[in-house]
Amino acid sequence: MPAERKTPGLALACGLILAAALLLGLACNLFMPQGIGWLPPWISRPLWQPVGLAPAAALHRQGALFVDARDPSQYKAARVRGALSLYPSELKLIYPLLKDTLAQAPLVVVYGRSRSRFPAAEIGQFLRGQGLGRVYVLQEDFAAWRAAGLPVQAPRRRSGS
Amino acid sequence: MRPWSEALSLACRLFLGGLYLWAAHDKVWLPAEFAAAMAEYDMLPLWAVNPASVALAWLELVLGLLLLLGVWLRAAAAWAAALLALFTGLMVWAGFTGAGFDCGCFPAGAGHPAGFESALRDFLMMLPALWLLWRPGRWLALRPQ
Repeated sequence: MPAERKTPGLALACGLILAAALLLGLACNLFMPQGIGWLPPWISRPLWQPVGLAPAAALHRQGALFVDARDPSQYKAARVRGALSLYPSELKLIYPLLKDTLAQAPLVVVYGRSRSRFPAAEIGQFLRGQGLGRVYVLQEDFAAWRAAGLPVQAPRRRSGS
Repeated sequence: MRPWSEALSLACRLFLGGLYLWAAHDKVWLPAEFAAAMAEYDMLPLWAVNPASVALAWLELVLGLLLLLGVWLRAAAAWAAALLALFTGLMVWAGFTGAGFDCGCFPAGAGHPAGFESALRDFLMMLPALWLLWRPGRWLALRPQ
């Protein structure tokens, strides 16, 4: 009589699948040349400085140039007053157009999202890499800026006829 | 199981397995880009984005292989359904927040913006996974249980 093959229960099989995926992912990510570290370089080795909401508002009053690193559609909907849009996927295309404006700014504050600090930190790192002197990354997101009653620029809605 | 039921299970397996493999290959091969796509949602703290993106990409790859080969089908279907339920919720959330960016679900250029349309797509894709959870089938399966 052939020996019966033992089959793992559903929970055990699910756990084994997850463990296999984690092990494979860890091992391959380690050996792949394009593998990623635990943290991206703009987080683990930041060239920018973090800035809180209140100091950032003070910098805005002093004439700091704000860079909106969110999606262009979000930028169009509302942004920090006077902010420029610079988004990672369009960085190489747009940066040459904004290069001179950015170079003339006394300091630059980049903002994006809060938890993952994406993509503000990436843009901040890029700008520092391009030789800009003082680059800050806002620790809060645009929603917090807006909720604090700080200057916002949004297109006027057309009133209904 | 009846032949039509077996045939349906096989079709679900091949569809889902192919889908997961297609979705995973870019994420596995270009982990930095997938990590950036995950970071777009701003759901995870920054220290968790890279590990979670690698884990998710490889989980999708493993699920695709298991479904295509017919190994541990019920468990693979449970994972597939759970992930699709998670993605559906994420797309609904993205729809409410008006995210508008590419959902990052499929290889670049597939053009699937995060939002309600993608939520419906993910929900419909969950149906074959739920069928497999109920009726994994045995046709062309190496080790279904």
